[in-house]
Amino acid sequence: MLKTIFPTLGRFRFTVQIVMLFVTVYGGALLGSYTVDRISQALPSLACSYDKLTTDHCILIVTQHQLHHRIGEALTKIQDITLKVFVPTLISVGTFFAFFFFLNKAFCGWVCPMGTVQELLFRIGRRLGRPLNRFKPENVGRVRPVKWLMLLLLVLGLPLLAGMGVASGEAGDAYCQVCPSRLATTLLTADAEQIAVRTSTSFNFILGAAGNALFGFVIIAALAVRLPFCRICPLLSWNALFQKLSPMRLVKREAHEKCAKCGVCEKACPMDIHEIGTQFGKKAFHEDCTLCGRCAEYCPDDEVIQIRFFGIRLFGSSRDYYKNRVKQESPEGMPKKRVINIQFSKPKPENG
Amino acid sequence: MKVIAILMTVLLVPEPFVHAAEGYARTVVAHGEHGRTGEMRGMHSESGGAMMAMSMSWTDYPLLKTRMSGEDREQRQTTVVQKNIAAGSVDAWSNNLKDVNAHRHLPLGMAGALLDKPETGGYHWLSAREEQAGRVLVASTVYMFGERNAQDPTAMFMQQKHELEIIPNPYPREHSRYRADEIRKFVVHFIGKPLANQKVVLVTQNGSRSEWTTDSTGAVALRLPDDFKPEADKKEPAERRGGMQGMMGMQAQGSEFVLATEYAKDGKTYVTTFNNSYSKNAYDKRSLAMGLGFTLLGMIGAMPLLRTRKTDQQTPSSGLTEKKEEA
Repeated sequence: MLKTIFPTLGRFRFTVQIVMLFVTVYGGALLGSYTVDRISQALPSLACSYDKLTTDHCILIVTQHQLHHRIGEALTKIQDITLKVFVPTLISVGTFFAFFFFLNKAFCGWVCPMGTVQELLFRIGRRLGRPLNRFKPENVGRVRPVKWLMLLLLVLGLPLLAGMGVASGEAGDAYCQVCPSRLATTLLTADAEQIAVRTSTSFNFILGAAGNALFGFVIIAALAVRLPFCRICPLLSWNALFQKLSPMRLVKREAHEKCAKCGVCEKACPMDIHEIGTQFGKKAFHEDCTLCGRCAEYCPDDEVIQIRFFGIRLFGSSRDYYKNRVKQESPEGMPKKRVINIQFSKPKPENG
Repeated sequence: MKVIAILMTVLLVPEPFVHAAEGYARTVVAHGEHGRTGEMRGMHSESGGAMMAMSMSWTDYPLLKTRMSGEDREQRQTTVVQKNIAAGSVDAWSNNLKDVNAHRHLPLGMAGALLDKPETGGYHWLSAREEQAGRVLVASTVYMFGERNAQDPTAMFMQQKHELEIIPNPYPREHSRYRADEIRKFVVHFIGKPLANQKVVLVTQNGSRSEWTTDSTGAVALRLPDDFKPEADKKEPAERRGGMQGMMGMQAQGSEFVLATEYAKDGKTYVTTFNNSYSKNAYDKRSLAMGLGFTLLGMIGAMPLLRTRKTDQQTPSSGLTEKKEEA
């Protein structure tokens, strides 16, 4: 029965993503205005606090908020650092870590609404015949540090400085001002307020303008690049800090000499993690991995790549599964049945 | 007792008395930094009594105002003050109806009634009732102690507390608030039952007045007027002050509104109000045109990625490599 509904891991993940998109974006509207805290606290991903209708919790704003209002302020009067400062902070981020402990980075690959929006756009891009742009191994390394800069500067640094009174209070949620998920999720509820740039101060304006430009770039880029924003998302680096602690993980064993030369798993990876094709063991579970499972789906060898939870195999690659999977979709995400074929170039006249 | 209450109320309004009272007010911990209602959201809490005294002269309807004071967010005091009504105490309902302290009588002191946060936290319904010569006055408002996972207050809101009631449905949740030019819903109940075709008057501190009528279910959806005057812009924006209000773009330049309804039955006249604060419209100090412009700019920046090339080719600027699609 389940196999009929979800013939592939990809179909199952896509279904979960769509459900989570509705829960994180419209859940409060469906279940009542006052339920949003509960929904979004249980799902501490990019469920945007700026969404008036539905969600109210994102670990990134909680982190900024705690640094700004508790730790930053307490550091300025060090004698006040007591349990009343750290306990609320720990409680606030505790739900995130409890959830993260079990799901690891599956947050990103299965729950995050911004990830789902980007994947939907990428699917549209495939239907429209747009090209696939991938990062080459020598170039991807230039992008990877950006997510750490985003975390250190915008999520941790500026809010802490704001709390200490060194930076303006406007920096208390610096990351949120540039977060494309804030714009995407609020627009999905027909709320255009967030797309309007704040003009009250130059700091607000600059951050807002940068955020809008980033959002516009991501929306178009997602048609031709897989998960363009995820590569610089601070949640990815935040998760990566604790990636090794979770019992949920990706495992790859070296099957044979040709394994590193096959490269199909590498092509299937939406984050362009080339290491998945060339590395084995712990190194194959890269900090950019979102546990989407595509590498395992497209590995043509039995049980070489697995997703494991407390050592128990949840999904593993198999040759038969691979054969069926590529009949539906190429490793790069190109569907075998393209239903829309738009001619972008000017058609030639039939007679001269 | 009533005479004392009236005298206390009169004494409370002038600024010097309010400030003097703060000196010996019992220390009450208003947990969390999100606690807010009218005074907190509408005005700078430190400005306290003077602004409150000024703000209370704009209507004759009964009002309940809450005010937070204190620099330390962990030690802030929440005080409930009545205006245009002379009740002996303020009633407070917390959103956990099973709690033994779900309904409390808050005695009025010199500075007003002190509201502390019970363990159940979350939303609080505050009301004051005065009955005199066949006329029943009820002032009500909602105060929320910021607390994640606060219980759903709908059951508490809908529970009958007085004869005639105006109930927000829903009340703005944490990180939200009433704003100008937005439609908000309320229901009017009499003895716990919806009151259809009942006139509701909306009066704002900015000078607007409008009348609305409940539908067959006792509900009324009204639009808060966009009636802020330009001179309010000279005040410091919330964002500069920091805090969650600033983070969420909430405006410091708030104002007050009151909803009032009157109903007569069995020789008695019931007048009930619900007051709260509201802030400027969502697009105040925002530019939609510029927002769309920068979004468009970002989109244009990504357009080269959509171009189809015949061969694999590296794009120097982005470091991206285009690969021909596999069929």
